[in-house]
Amino acid sequence: MDVSEVVIAHLFPRRMNIYGDTGNVITLSRRLEWRSIPYRVDLVPVGADYDLLNADIVVAGGGEDTSQIEVARDVVQRSENLRAAVDAGVAFLVVCGTYQLFGLRFIAADGSELPGIGVFDAETVSGEGRIIGNVIVESDWGRLVGFENHGGRTMLAAGQAALGTVIKGNGNNDITDEEGAVTNNCFGTYLHGSVLPKNPQFADELLIRGMARRHGPVILEPLDDEQELAAAHSAAGRP
Amino acid sequence: MLRLVVAVTVGRLAGFLSRLIGRGGSAIPGLIAEMLDSRVIDKLVASIPGGVVVVTGTNGKTTTTKMLVTALERSGTPVLTNPSGSNLARGVATVLISASRRGRILGYEMAVLEIDEAAVSALASRLAPRLVVVTNLARDQLDRYGELETTAGHVGVAVASAKRAVLNADDPAVAALDVGRTTWFGAVDGIRRTMPHDRLLYGTSDPEDPAAKADVVLELAEQDGDGQRIRLAIAGAVLDATLRVPGAYNGYNAAAAVGAAVELGVEPAVAASSLEEMPAAFGRGQVIEFEGRRVNLLLVKNPSGFNQALRLLTDAPAPTQVLIAINDNHADGRDVSWLWDVRFEDLEGSGHTFGTSGIRAADMALRLKYGGIESWTDPDLGTALRRTAAAAAEGDLVYVVPTYTAMLSMLELLLPGAARSEMWT
Repeated sequence: MDVSEVVIAHLFPRRMNIYGDTGNVITLSRRLEWRSIPYRVDLVPVGADYDLLNADIVVAGGGEDTSQIEVARDVVQRSENLRAAVDAGVAFLVVCGTYQLFGLRFIAADGSELPGIGVFDAETVSGEGRIIGNVIVESDWGRLVGFENHGGRTMLAAGQAALGTVIKGNGNNDITDEEGAVTNNCFGTYLHGSVLPKNPQFADELLIRGMARRHGPVILEPLDDEQELAAAHSAAGRP
Repeated sequence: MLRLVVAVTVGRLAGFLSRLIGRGGSAIPGLIAEMLDSRVIDKLVASIPGGVVVVTGTNGKTTTTKMLVTALERSGTPVLTNPSGSNLARGVATVLISASRRGRILGYEMAVLEIDEAAVSALASRLAPRLVVVTNLARDQLDRYGELETTAGHVGVAVASAKRAVLNADDPAVAALDVGRTTWFGAVDGIRRTMPHDRLLYGTSDPEDPAAKADVVLELAEQDGDGQRIRLAIAGAVLDATLRVPGAYNGYNAAAAVGAAVELGVEPAVAASSLEEMPAAFGRGQVIEFEGRRVNLLLVKNPSGFNQALRLLTDAPAPTQVLIAINDNHADGRDVSWLWDVRFEDLEGSGHTFGTSGIRAADMALRLKYGGIESWTDPDLGTALRRTAAAAAEGDLVYVVPTYTAMLSMLELLLPGAARSEMWT
């Protein structure tokens, strides 16, 4: 295997991509391309045989409810491989529906339970009404801006690190001010928008962490992010 | 009856007063009348002799409605219809009230109403449509409509409630709504493959064969000037027409409208030739003269519609000036994430010049940047429009691609006063 090539694995590219989550893959790809770093994108649909330890960065998004059930089954089936990849330091960005499945369980409105894989010590309960709007989150990687649209409320257990603190919007739920979760190099979030294009420092953090395992310590050349920050600024000012 | 007449009269008076105090474009008559008589819509439509036709779906509602109305009127049927800005209950009520005298609709044989796909299940039982036309179903602004399945459920209720339906055979989400009594429209393979439906974009990966054999088949859609030449096969006849609107998606709209018109008793040849007279609906492929240039306004609301608009841009001669104007008001959808589902990468290296404008101009510029396309940005729609026109040669066609509220503002800039008629209820 040629490890000089950075491998981005896009999990469930069709089923879990309803809020432009493909934008995250486009962003990681372009930011490697602009730095002349060779890369490839592996599409991993539901049911595909794929070893996530061969990837440097894994990206997955949100889906419609019907897709979520099918995807949940697939996630449980690959749970061993997923957890091994998280433990090995592969970088993950899991958004919305996939983020929920990386917790311990998802409890639907009718009380039925979808088991998760427990990468995050968290539980999601289907709530009354959807949480919709632009979000601003203060994180270790600066201010993150995105758009949330979710019915599930995620509660982190004590000791589970969050991605950041909500300054505007709701994040994980409408009770705490936490947004997202972080375990090792695995980041869970409710932010769409897509999240990475408007938060280039977060995109680069994922690249650095993901590449560290097989590509040695990584220093990324800075890029001109003026347009990225302008878009984040305009989104932050919207309801 | 008395209650209805009071409701209608008070509603009208309220609308009159509202216009008097300069609040203009409002659905106040319908809103007030519905408060006084919750069955105002049901009662008024019962007085329309030829009944109600409902046109719904994600994209193409306005154009298809306009095409169908033109075909019916051409064959001598006076038709009551609604402007696209009033496709919810109170807007429909306002339209019906304004056409009524003493609690009855007067002067119209039939009503052809465009209905918002999220409002259509509640309205269908009140309108008791004789025919429901479904153009297509695609993922739309999720913050407004929710998931595609929810929308399909709403439209399915309307289809099941109608005596007959005209459905898109090439769109599996629409075809699944069939409960018999259906006239199908579709296209030959070559055109069908250029219009990937949502299940191809987001769901199962294999292109499927059409769900049904179409009764009206779009056999040709070839750009011709600002419009296109199309050919429709229907009931053994082959009909040619020149549309004033471009794009294969408008060929589909024409097939839907002709299918519906024929279902309603219009001669196929009359229906097809009436298409030629129909100018583009507001902002939907409408070409407007502006400072010596021709501006083609292409409304976009969702990824599938935008991808169709991109096909027109890839076919345009380089360099063409293109201005994309993205707003995020409620009517546009507050979430602009969907721009990342549009395949701007297809325009990389097109040689066109791109400008971005609107409230979320910066997001659009960023999307283009990651699509490999440079652009200039000016959030002000007026200056952006003038800059786009100025960069084109005299007489050139430029493209302005706005979301809904940006389209209304553009119309106001291009044709002062016109946007009001789109919005009048």
